[in-house]
Amino acid sequence: MIQKPDASPIPIGRVVATELKPATPHQFHFWTANETTVGIGAIVKVQEAGSGEQGEGRVVYGVVTDGFAYSDLATPLHDVVGAEGDPARAADAPTVRQEIRLWTAAVLRQEPEEPLQPVPIARVFVANDADIARALRMDAYLHNAQPTAIPVGLYTSGGLESPVYLDADFLLGPEAAHLNISGVSGLATKTSAVEFLLASIFQHFPKHRGKVAAVCFNVKGSDLCFLDQSGALDEEDRRRYARLGVTAGPFDKVRYYAPLKADGVNLNTLRTHPDLVGDVEPLVWGLSEVLDFAEVLLNRDDIDAKADAFIDFLADRVLNKDFEDPLVGHHRVQTFADLEALFRAIFDGLELHGRGSDSWRTHHIATIRKVRNRLSNVSTRCKGLVTDDGPSNDLPWGAIEDRAVYVIDIANVDPLGQDLVFARVVSQMREHLERRDLGVDAVVVFVDELNKYAPGDGPDTYVRKMLLDISERGRYLGLVLFGAEQFRSQVHRRVVGNAATQVFGRMDMDELATPGYQVLSPATKIKLATLPVGELMVRHPHFTQPIFVRFPRPAVLRGRDGMERFPFTPDLPFPDAVARQLVHLDRAIRPNVVKDLVADRDQDDVRRALAATRRARPADPLAYFRKALGSRVAPEAPRERRGVPPLKPISEEPY
Amino acid sequence: MRSWVDAIVAAGVVPASYIPESSLGRPDEDVVPAELVEGDALRAYALPDGAVTPAPVSFLDGIQHWKVVGHAGATPVVRAHVAGAVRRRGPDRRLRTAAERSRELAITHLAALPAAARRALEQSGVDVVDLPASELGQPSRLLRAARVRVDRAREAVERELAEECVARLGPHEWLVVDGLLSDSKVLAEHPRALGVIKSHGTQFFSGDDLELALTLPEKHRTSVFRPQSHQHQRVYSWYLRMWPWEGSDVLYGLVRIEARAHADTLGAAGAISAWLVRERAPVSTPDARFDRLLYPIHDVETYLRSRAPRDLLPAFAPRLPRTGS
Repeated sequence: MIQKPDASPIPIGRVVATELKPATPHQFHFWTANETTVGIGAIVKVQEAGSGEQGEGRVVYGVVTDGFAYSDLATPLHDVVGAEGDPARAADAPTVRQEIRLWTAAVLRQEPEEPLQPVPIARVFVANDADIARALRMDAYLHNAQPTAIPVGLYTSGGLESPVYLDADFLLGPEAAHLNISGVSGLATKTSAVEFLLASIFQHFPKHRGKVAAVCFNVKGSDLCFLDQSGALDEEDRRRYARLGVTAGPFDKVRYYAPLKADGVNLNTLRTHPDLVGDVEPLVWGLSEVLDFAEVLLNRDDIDAKADAFIDFLADRVLNKDFEDPLVGHHRVQTFADLEALFRAIFDGLELHGRGSDSWRTHHIATIRKVRNRLSNVSTRCKGLVTDDGPSNDLPWGAIEDRAVYVIDIANVDPLGQDLVFARVVSQMREHLERRDLGVDAVVVFVDELNKYAPGDGPDTYVRKMLLDISERGRYLGLVLFGAEQFRSQVHRRVVGNAATQVFGRMDMDELATPGYQVLSPATKIKLATLPVGELMVRHPHFTQPIFVRFPRPAVLRGRDGMERFPFTPDLPFPDAVARQLVHLDRAIRPNVVKDLVADRDQDDVRRALAATRRARPADPLAYFRKALGSRVAPEAPRERRGVPPLKPISEEPY
Repeated sequence: MRSWVDAIVAAGVVPASYIPESSLGRPDEDVVPAELVEGDALRAYALPDGAVTPAPVSFLDGIQHWKVVGHAGATPVVRAHVAGAVRRRGPDRRLRTAAERSRELAITHLAALPAAARRALEQSGVDVVDLPASELGQPSRLLRAARVRVDRAREAVERELAEECVARLGPHEWLVVDGLLSDSKVLAEHPRALGVIKSHGTQFFSGDDLELALTLPEKHRTSVFRPQSHQHQRVYSWYLRMWPWEGSDVLYGLVRIEARAHADTLGAAGAISAWLVRERAPVSTPDARFDRLLYPIHDVETYLRSRAPRDLLPAFAPRLPRTGS
C-alpha cells in the first residue's frame, strides 16, 4: 500500500530563517512558488545536503500549520496611489507585484533525533508515502514483524495521497486506548467516521491481538440502524478504499437489540420495515436486572443510606427467595408484579396490624414508599424495556462474536431507560472482560452525545462515573470507548483527556475559541471550521502534530437513506405483531392461525407465551407457543444473583 | 575556493571593512546642446488616452557594490561587485529573469602591495584593476578613482547584457533600459529599445525651454529633441512627467526617455509616453526614487541585490572591533 518514492524529487521550497523568524527544533519557515500545492496540513520534508564526511545531512519532517502571503508593497496607501484611488485600475497594473508564499511548519520528526537541533536551512520537498510513514512514526508499527496498523484515512495534499494508520496498541489498548471525535452536527460526519473506522478495525485488527467486537448505542434517529445494508459509493470512494486496503461493504455480523414498546410486542426502533425487523432482538429486563442498577434509577437527592439499605435488603433477602414474614406472609419476588404485591402487603400489614408502628424490619415506611415509588416509576417510564411480569431477553454475554457489531437502539427510550441500558450493558461487559469470558478480547463501545452522558459540569450521575471508569481503566480490560460529541469543551475533561486518539470534524468557531484548542494555529482553526464532509483532523500518540485525513464514505446505508429504502412501519395491532414475531421464528406459520389463537386471550398471557417461545427457540414454535399459552407460563428460573462490583473510587487527580 | 580577500590578508594586507559614502556622486556632464526634431519650438504635449502596454517587455538594470577590504600601507584595496540582469515580463504580467551577469573586481595600486599579497591576488583569479600611481594620494582620491572603475565595469556588464538581449528580442518585444541608450550603438539603433533616465545632471535647454521642461504638468511630455553629445550615439529624447511635481520639486516624477533616432519615434513618442506612465503602478516604494523608478526596474534591482554578496551590502552594525569568535 505504501508506494515507492520518486527517484529524483523536485524541491518545492526552501527553509528561510531570520532573526525575527528563526528556525527552531520544533518549528521552521519556508517559502514556495506562488503556484504551489502546499497548504495547511501538508506534510513536507526538509533535506539538508550532506557535505564531506557528514554524508547525508539532517532530514526533518514537518506539517504546515500556517501560511503567509505578502508583496513588496510598503503600505496599503501606495497601492491606492498607484491605482489613483480606483480599485478597477489596480488590477490593470502592467506588472504583478512580487509576492511571497511563506509557510510555517511544525516539526513532526527529525533524523537523526539526537542531538536535537534547529531545522537546517535547506531544500523542502513534498513528502511521499515513505516519508509520511516516517514523519508520523508509523514505520514502527507498519513494517515490523507483527504489524498493528489500522487505516484511518488518506493524507491528501496537492494530488498526492498516502494512507495514514493508527496503532492498534494505542487505539484499542493495552498501551493506550479510546477515541474521541468532535464536530458540529450534520457536517462533521462523526458517525460515518466511526463506521468506517470500525470496518477498518475489523479488517485490520491483527489476529495475534485476539478477537474484537463493537457495541454501539444508537441514541438518536436511525444513524446505526442499517449497518448490515450496502450504501451507495462512488468511484472516488472505491478508489480510496482500495488505497487504504479496506474492503468496501456492509458489516458481515450485525446484531440489533431494541426494547419493546409499551404494548410488549412492537419493537421500539426505527428498524421496523418488515424485511428487517425480524433481525431485531427485543431487549427486555426484569426486576433482577434492574435492581442491580438501582443507583442509576435514584437521583442524587434520593441516594441516602436508608434507601440504599432497603434496596440491599430486597436484593439480599427477598429477591428470588421464599420470603416469610409474620406481617406480610409468604412471598417469592421474581418480577415487578411480585414486588408490588410485597409492597402492598407491607403497607396493608402496617396499617392493619402494625399497632401504630411506622417501621417494618427497621425500615421506615417513608423509605419503603420512596423505594417503591422509584422502582414502579421505572416499570412505568421504561415499559417495554422493563417487564412487569415476564422473562428477560439480554445480549449474549459470554458469546459475543468476533468482528461483530451489536447495535442497541435506545433512540426512543426514556432518558432514564437509556441510562439503565448503558449502565447495565457496560457493567456486564466490564464484568465479563475481567473474567475473560465475554467471547472477545476487546470491545469498542460507541457512545454518541457525550455532551449529554459525560458533561463537564452538572450532576455526577452513575453513567458519567461509568464513562470515567472506562476512560481511565478500560484499556487494561479491553473495554474501549469511542465517544462522539458536538462540543468537546463541554465533555468531562478526563473522559476526553484519556482518549489517546482524538478526531475532529468541522468545528464551530465558538468551540475553537475555548482553551482546549489553544495549541492549534489560527490557520489550523480556520481549516477546522471549514472542513469539508469526509475530512478529519487526527491526533494520535505517534503523531507529534495533528494530521488531516480524508476517509471514504462508509459502505453501509446511512440512516436517512435507510429510512427511504426501508420506510418506518407503523405499529401493528397486537395480534399481527405477535403473528409477525412467530412467523420470524418459523416462516411456515400462517399469521391467521396465530391471530385466531390469541383472539380473546389476555394480552399479558400472550406476551409471556411469546417471550417464552422466543427464549426457547423450539423446533416447532407454533406448538410451543400454543402450549405456553394454554397454561400459566412458569416464571424464569431464578438466576444466581451476582452482585456487580462497585465502581472503584475515582481519583480527583487530573489524568 | 578561498576568498581572495582572505588570501591577501594572510599575505600581509591589513584587513578593513569600510563602505565609502554613496554621496560621492556620479560624474556629471555639464551642458549639452539639443536639436529640436519635433515642431519648431519646445512644447508640452498631453499624453493620449488609451495607452497600450506592449507584451512582452524586458527590463534591464545593474547594480554595483564596493568596499575597502584591506590596506597595504596606506593604499586601500577595494573589493567590488557589479551585476546586471534582464527580467522579462510576459502575458501573465509577472517578471522572470531572462539573463544576468556579474563580476567581482579587486581595485588597488598593485605596486603598493607586498609581493605575497600580489601573488595571492593573481592566484585567486579575481579581475584586478590596477590603478596608476598618478591616482594615488589621500584615500579619498584613490576611492574616487576606484569608483570610476566600478561604474565603468557596471556599465560594461549592462551594455553586454543589453546588446545580447536586443539580439534575441521577439518581433513585438521591447527592451527598457535603466539609464542611457546612447552608450551603445546597438541599443541606440534598435526600434524597440528605450532608455529611461532618472537623473538630470546634463542640461539640454536653457531659459524658457528649460523652464518648460522642468515644469511639465503631470502626464505630459516635451517635444522630441536630439542631444548633440559627441560622446554618445545619436538618439532622440524627450522629457516625461510621471507624477505631478507641484508641492514637491521640479524633478519630482520627471524622467528623460531615449529612443532610436528615427522618424517613427516622432510618431510613437506620445504612445510610448502614455505606456510608461501606466508603469507608475505598481508604485516602486519603498525606494526613495519611486517617482521616477519604474516598478519593473525596481524589481530587477531587488533581484540583483538579493543575489549580491551579503558582506558587500551596507551593514547596520557599527564598526566595532571584532570579537574573537
